[in-house]
Amino acid sequence: MTQTVTQTLAIVGLTFREAVRKRLVAAFALITIGLVGLSAWGFDRLSHSSSLTSGEVRVSLPQSLILFMFMFSFVVALSASTMSSPAISAEIESGVLQVVVAHPIRRSQVVLGKWLGLAALLALYAAVVCALEFAVVYWVSGFVPPNPVAVGLYLFAEGAVLLTLAMLLSTRFSALATGVVAIALFGAAWLAGVVGALGASFHIGALRQVGAVARYVLPTDGLWHGAIYYLEPSAFVTHRLAQSVDVRANPFFASTPPSWAYLVWAAAWLVVAMGAALISFDRREL
Amino acid sequence: MSPTSWGEPAAAPSPAPSPAPSPAGPAQRPTASSPAIHVVDLYKRYRRTTALAGLSMTVERGEVFGFLGPNGAGKTTTVKLLLGLARPTAGEALVLGAPAGDLEARRRIGYLPELFRFQSWLTAREVLKLHCRLLTLPRDRTAGPVGDVLDTVGLATRADDKVGTFSKGMQQRLGLAVALLGDPALVILDEPTSALDPVGRHDVRQVIRELRDRGATVFLNTHLLAEAEQVCDRVTVVDAGRSIATGSLDELLGERTSVKLLVGGLHHRWWHDLSFFGNWSSDGRWARVDDVDPDRVPDLVRAIVGMGGRVEAVVPEHRSLEERFLELLGDRAPKKEEEAPAS
Repeated sequence: MTQTVTQTLAIVGLTFREAVRKRLVAAFALITIGLVGLSAWGFDRLSHSSSLTSGEVRVSLPQSLILFMFMFSFVVALSASTMSSPAISAEIESGVLQVVVAHPIRRSQVVLGKWLGLAALLALYAAVVCALEFAVVYWVSGFVPPNPVAVGLYLFAEGAVLLTLAMLLSTRFSALATGVVAIALFGAAWLAGVVGALGASFHIGALRQVGAVARYVLPTDGLWHGAIYYLEPSAFVTHRLAQSVDVRANPFFASTPPSWAYLVWAAAWLVVAMGAALISFDRREL
Repeated sequence: MSPTSWGEPAAAPSPAPSPAPSPAGPAQRPTASSPAIHVVDLYKRYRRTTALAGLSMTVERGEVFGFLGPNGAGKTTTVKLLLGLARPTAGEALVLGAPAGDLEARRRIGYLPELFRFQSWLTAREVLKLHCRLLTLPRDRTAGPVGDVLDTVGLATRADDKVGTFSKGMQQRLGLAVALLGDPALVILDEPTSALDPVGRHDVRQVIRELRDRGATVFLNTHLLAEAEQVCDRVTVVDAGRSIATGSLDELLGERTSVKLLVGGLHHRWWHDLSFFGNWSSDGRWARVDDVDPDRVPDLVRAIVGMGGRVEAVVPEHRSLEERFLELLGDRAPKKEEEAPAS
């Protein structure tokens, strides 16, 4: 048991070290500092604008923060798929993985170790981004989202779904193919969410169905809407729902949090995808 | 012990292999006396290609065993099956007494693959420490083995350099160092000198001899016959996925040899009187007798002197492994047509 943990932790450590040595962490830090700095300037201008009423400012602050966080969620999703895509396939191509699995280590430990290492990096990134962004926004505008921890968790969960999908694909396909497919599916899921919102707004059943089904097939957009919901103060939700325009067509608005049933589905999705990745790699001939 | 002996054609393949068993097969308790590798009727098919067609061989503990064959003969496939990296279609493979791929058996196996690139962003020492942890060697006792294997493969002065700065040959040395970690009972080397210069090849041969001296078994997969000739105790030649000959180098090359003679003082075609020693030929200056018993060479010289000849030079010529290898493959060539793989 101890040996199994030691071996798995060795893979986790290797994954972490790779991110640091390949300057991935440095790139994350630079991007984050740049974007947070930009948002600080933007939120300062917005909250001290003389052309807006205090009511308009109260509405525009959460809406702007949602847009900024959407950008960070995109960075998380992109990072999850690009980091995970070569995790298995590139090491098979280089022949390193053949040496590793010739040791007394189970293949499942290799996949699990890599997943844990990358998931820890994502969690760290989501936590740092949320903490920095929310602190800066609070500092310049006084606005703080109603549940910042939940936002961070949903952001991480969205990344973890994509990370797991890319890990599964990486056990069978090349890094390039995996990266392209994972990012394309992420984009398609987001677009399907927009299509579903339009369908709901304009009462077009088929379009609404597309959105509903896509949220279950790849729960990234559904989880992103969870993050959106916890960025919105209740007064903001009430205000938007009271507007004459149907806000359900707005892809950057969530009137309700994800249901428990949906969260259970997302968790089951993760477990099944991870199980499929373990089985796929275990059965693959190297 | 071996399915065939030198020069004898292998037995016909089984007409219809039984359904593929699990590579793990029935659990067997490894024993120190069990062969290092025991393979019986091993088949491996990839869709339309048959990589192995009934390979059988036994590698005893403590020997350096050469696994020879032309490109595409199934050598690397065999290595992968032995390590559990791939599963056989049919047949049985035991490694250190356990089914191929067994987790515990892998603890005592060192492996150097043919093609690999370690993580370029790690140093050589870090690569070795990582593999020490994967081998579950005690963390506080890795410095010794890491230093030892770095010394053995001649990388001690580059231990803290990034692997990305290493030449192909140095990468191969590092791969060998990884294979030596944990004092393995069986070391499987897949083309270990393909990227090495003559000095590197010499060093690897030295490492192989040292492994044998400490009782380890070395399975050397190579197409460099001179290399096999210098270090192997026994070899098997594979072709088209089957062993076509197995034995020691003496058994392979045969006991009979050829001798070239430079003789003066005798009349033209004097060797006609000595045909009972072997098959004679001449290029006008040198006479040559093939298939002569090495023990009878002094008698041959004595006979020539007895006939009044002046023996100026006697040059024994041993058949090289390469010659025998080509001969064996030549023997097999016409039969390939007849051996359609069982489907």
